[in-house]
Amino acid sequence: MSAAVLLRPVILTFGLLSLWQAVVWISGAPPYILPGPLAVGEVLIAKPALLLRHGAVTAAEIVMGLTLGALFGAISALTLSASRPARRWMMPVLVISQALPVFALAPMLTLWLGYGMASKVAMATLIIYFPVTSAFYDGLRRTEPGWLDLARTMGAGRFAVLRYVRLPAALPAFGSGLRVAAAVAPIGAVVGEWVGSSAGLGYLMLNANARMQVSTMFAALVVLAAFSLILFFVIDRGVKRLVRWQPDA
Amino acid sequence: MIVRLFTLTVLMAAFIMGAAPRGAMAQEKLTLLLDWFINPDHAPLIVAQEGGYFARHGLDVEMLEPADPNDPPKLVAAGKADLAVSYQPQLHIQVAADLPLARIATLVATPLNSLVVLEDGPIREIADLKGKTIGYSVGGFETALLGAMLAQADLTIDDVTLVNVNFSLSPSLISGQVDAVIGAFRNFELNQMDIVGEPGRAFYPEEHGVPAYDELIVVARNDRMDDPRFKAFLRAVEEATTFVINHPEESWQMFIGRDAELDDELNRRAWADTLPRLALRPAALDRGRYQRFGAFMKASGLVDVTPPIDGYARDIEP
Repeated sequence: MSAAVLLRPVILTFGLLSLWQAVVWISGAPPYILPGPLAVGEVLIAKPALLLRHGAVTAAEIVMGLTLGALFGAISALTLSASRPARRWMMPVLVISQALPVFALAPMLTLWLGYGMASKVAMATLIIYFPVTSAFYDGLRRTEPGWLDLARTMGAGRFAVLRYVRLPAALPAFGSGLRVAAAVAPIGAVVGEWVGSSAGLGYLMLNANARMQVSTMFAALVVLAAFSLILFFVIDRGVKRLVRWQPDA
Repeated sequence: MIVRLFTLTVLMAAFIMGAAPRGAMAQEKLTLLLDWFINPDHAPLIVAQEGGYFARHGLDVEMLEPADPNDPPKLVAAGKADLAVSYQPQLHIQVAADLPLARIATLVATPLNSLVVLEDGPIREIADLKGKTIGYSVGGFETALLGAMLAQADLTIDDVTLVNVNFSLSPSLISGQVDAVIGAFRNFELNQMDIVGEPGRAFYPEEHGVPAYDELIVVARNDRMDDPRFKAFLRAVEEATTFVINHPEESWQMFIGRDAELDDELNRRAWADTLPRLALRPAALDRGRYQRFGAFMKASGLVDVTPPIDGYARDIEP
């Protein structure tokens, strides 16, 4: 691993923090609206246990939501690509599911599933489901026609074509869907917490906001952003490993 | 010397010309951020506007409704708006966090916040809450209220399970997700529950160990206390309050005249329940009340400091 690879995150972090501080200075925003990185850093150092405790809850919600969302998304995409009636009936439902703001559904979900973890996992699943389904389905539709011809010529059945040609060919698209999902999953979990909770980063942010502890609120945001980054890179790595035969251009 | 005299004359002329038309000629703009969507708690403000009281005092008031009740005081502190509707307990927290704010008026002079349970539910008194789940919507302050109320029954916060239900106070109680909610407004949520056939019962914090406070206040930046528009604002609000008390039905017509959407059963009932709680002397400040409540906030650990009252609560001479 070269020095440049190790240095990159350091430079990026430092650059972003400087930009943040510059915005604070230039806009003259008072600390109760936008605290500087130093004030937020102080909270990160002063309250690691608090952030860790609530962060662990949100992380669990995100990971479970991501797993379920990816699973349901993959099943839906396969169903869509396999059956024409499914396409006709499911596509509008899918689009509607995405058009509804999750904020409007959140109270309903908490009433059905309670104020525990289930409602937040459901929210994250819901927000992840569409990008995964849509990307994977697109991938399944766009198999190179030449490959399909070749497979048929060689006498492959429907399942074999799916297993050995269409599925692998759609994996990069599935990967794109997962990457988007990783970036938005924390939003789903936090919206769920926002509507009703006893723990989690969203809960911490709500309480901190009401108590004018704006630095704590931003510290929770920093932890959340870190989650997104870690998830994104883990999934990016995993996807690259999975589709090793298709290197980045 | 002549130049200096000339400059002085010009300055004085500008000053006189600038001062004379104040209130007489053009209407002065004033931005007022509400705490929440328009509801009967805002009766004096809406009537002051719809009844022309602001206009008569030379004000052109623009009212804005926020998405988060915590935002308006911050925006006023940052100088982005002139006045904000807020709550006395939040003012103590904001001032302790160095927000340069001061209360200039009271709209609702009693607490509205209450602990609500289902009327035919198992909770008859506060002691029955042991081991139960309680929903709240504003972190910190409401749990402190609850703590003080529980203390009267020799319970602590650790004897109950707390859930932040944010905006879903009545739904979470009606659906049985929680056994009680703190943060329900006695003039609003109680009516809401009654209308859907699930009447509630309120325990009033000020009857259970919490010092009485002003639920709804108006705050301004504490370095702009001599703004002449604020005096005009206070006089308009006082006259409007008097009108509301003397002519409740006509005032209600003004209120719903602003927006037909406001004319529903809930607002009509809340209107009647809110009027007796309006501050009849909106500008008047009860200093002892602020001192007592500041001490309560400090004892509850919500604020570290209780600054001198003149810094954050004023009665401007109208």
